[in-house]
Amino acid sequence: MKRWVLGMRDAFSGALFKIAKKDRRVILVTSDTGAICHDEFRSVLPGQYINIGIAEQNMIGVAAGLALAGKLAYAYALVPFATMRCYEQIRVDLCCMGLPVTVVGVGAGYDYSTLGPTHHGTEDIALMRVLPGMTIFSPSDSIMVEAIARISYESPGPKYIRLDRSGTPLIYRSRNKDFTRGAEVLRRGRDLCIIATGRMSYNAIKVADELARHAIRATVVDLYRIKPLPEDFLRENISKFPLVATMEEHFIDGGIGTVINEFLAGTSKKCFVKKFGIPDKFCRQYDGKREYLHRLMGLDIKEVSRTLLRMIKDESTFYI
Amino acid sequence: MMKKNPRNKISINKLSKKACWLRNTVLEMGVKAGAAHLAPAFSCIEILTALYYGGILRFNPSDPGWGERDRFILSKGQAAIALYAVLADLNFFPLSELNSFTRAGSRLGGHAEDTVPGIEAFTGSLGNGLAIASGLALAAKMDKKKYIAAALLGDGECEEGSVWEAAMFAAHHKLNNLTAIIDNNGLSAIDYIDKYISLAPLEEKWRAFGWEALVVNGHSFKEILAAFKYMRSRRSNKPLAIIAKTIKGKGVSFMENNPIWHYRIPAGKELKLARKELLPEK
Repeated sequence: MKRWVLGMRDAFSGALFKIAKKDRRVILVTSDTGAICHDEFRSVLPGQYINIGIAEQNMIGVAAGLALAGKLAYAYALVPFATMRCYEQIRVDLCCMGLPVTVVGVGAGYDYSTLGPTHHGTEDIALMRVLPGMTIFSPSDSIMVEAIARISYESPGPKYIRLDRSGTPLIYRSRNKDFTRGAEVLRRGRDLCIIATGRMSYNAIKVADELARHAIRATVVDLYRIKPLPEDFLRENISKFPLVATMEEHFIDGGIGTVINEFLAGTSKKCFVKKFGIPDKFCRQYDGKREYLHRLMGLDIKEVSRTLLRMIKDESTFYI
Repeated sequence: MMKKNPRNKISINKLSKKACWLRNTVLEMGVKAGAAHLAPAFSCIEILTALYYGGILRFNPSDPGWGERDRFILSKGQAAIALYAVLADLNFFPLSELNSFTRAGSRLGGHAEDTVPGIEAFTGSLGNGLAIASGLALAAKMDKKKYIAAALLGDGECEEGSVWEAAMFAAHHKLNNLTAIIDNNGLSAIDYIDKYISLAPLEEKWRAFGWEALVVNGHSFKEILAAFKYMRSRRSNKPLAIIAKTIKGKGVSFMENNPIWHYRIPAGKELKLARKELLPEK
């Protein structure tokens, strides 16, 4: 049975509030985003909260200035606006100077499904990963989010955290787990490996369940730190599989599928990488639910399972 | 030596001599490097001279990170060549290092490099500096510190929307410890600004955004110093914009107010003439 708890956004806000209460250097800068989830932060710590307005370039610039003066700024906006509207400032002000500013993007993938491509977060991993010095977190449930909030506070340099707004099923049980490793094996199986990130990690478990009904055992890896890539972990855990599948709510071009492909191409192992993600087109269709868009893009549990089963039954498609 | 807002009177004659030395130094740095933004640097020489030698900014060359220092952001990062010369002359780093400008192994890049002692922020992408200075000014308010934050912007830079995002923010937060100095030379990289997208009325624009605004002759030490002294002593809850009317390429006749000299180094007869015109007055 699914264990649903508060969404990653609310979990993050709560965790950051706890940190900020103990450290006045922590400043939350938002571009008119997250009204309710930041209510407590705003009312209890008004001196550490700035609504910068709908001005993301200024949000990053001011956060950079605050960081130069010794503050630990969190710049908060929806994924597209937190990453693309102010990309230049993230690149120059934060990454070139290596400033400890954490950019928080809410609405990974099709989280804001009915708001159309302007509000879809489908390019952020690709954009953030080419920036030198940037650390990228893509947590998969709200328990992990609390830990990531703490890790972002304790680690140097610029960071990007990709969050879901909506409630997500829990994957992890313990808050004491070590989330500094960058990736976690959620299931162990010998037939193939599925690497997923964010919300898709839960779907990957469901795909593994579906495959198990056909006696196919999948290893499932939750890749929650995309940069720096946990290379030793991946070398140890995925390079033995002839078939690796990646699942992400992000354009296939430039996302974790690309990351894994690049990683494996740099090893001596030969394997086939099947990338499940959003094809190279904007989605301008609506039916009220995120899952509908997943189905349209072939990212739903059934379609992913069906494709993988077909591939495994016809081994010639991937055995080299 | 700690320089806490030194009020030691320095004569305008001495400042003029320093400005002359700076233009010469910048010219030779550019010639040696083979590429530099000479004309954009020449237009703000008096502004930088007044800030650093006129007893305006507080700084400490032996402790560049001194907590009480004023924060000066060279938002028009292409003028870094001039700021490097100022900082080296003030002993932030060895004067001889200026010879390495943009050469192999040098930390002195073509745009302001924050790894150079005395440079507060990495700039060069126009439109970024005022927001950074606003963040620094806000932090000073939060921490009850007395330092001021100032950013030097080009006027072409004011075409960037991010400048006006920062302007709105600074006025709303009553950052009276923030100053934007606009090097208003009327030229951008390839053209006369008024010919392709007019900024006028620039002074009224800043006022409409909630700033106090002054217009000065950016090559007159008398006027610049008066504006900067006012900046330090005024009582207002508004940020301050000082619009300095300048001439791009100031000091070298054929470079003055001529767009082709934005990023060009004189050679041959032109170089001879530039050197001659920049000779110190006797």
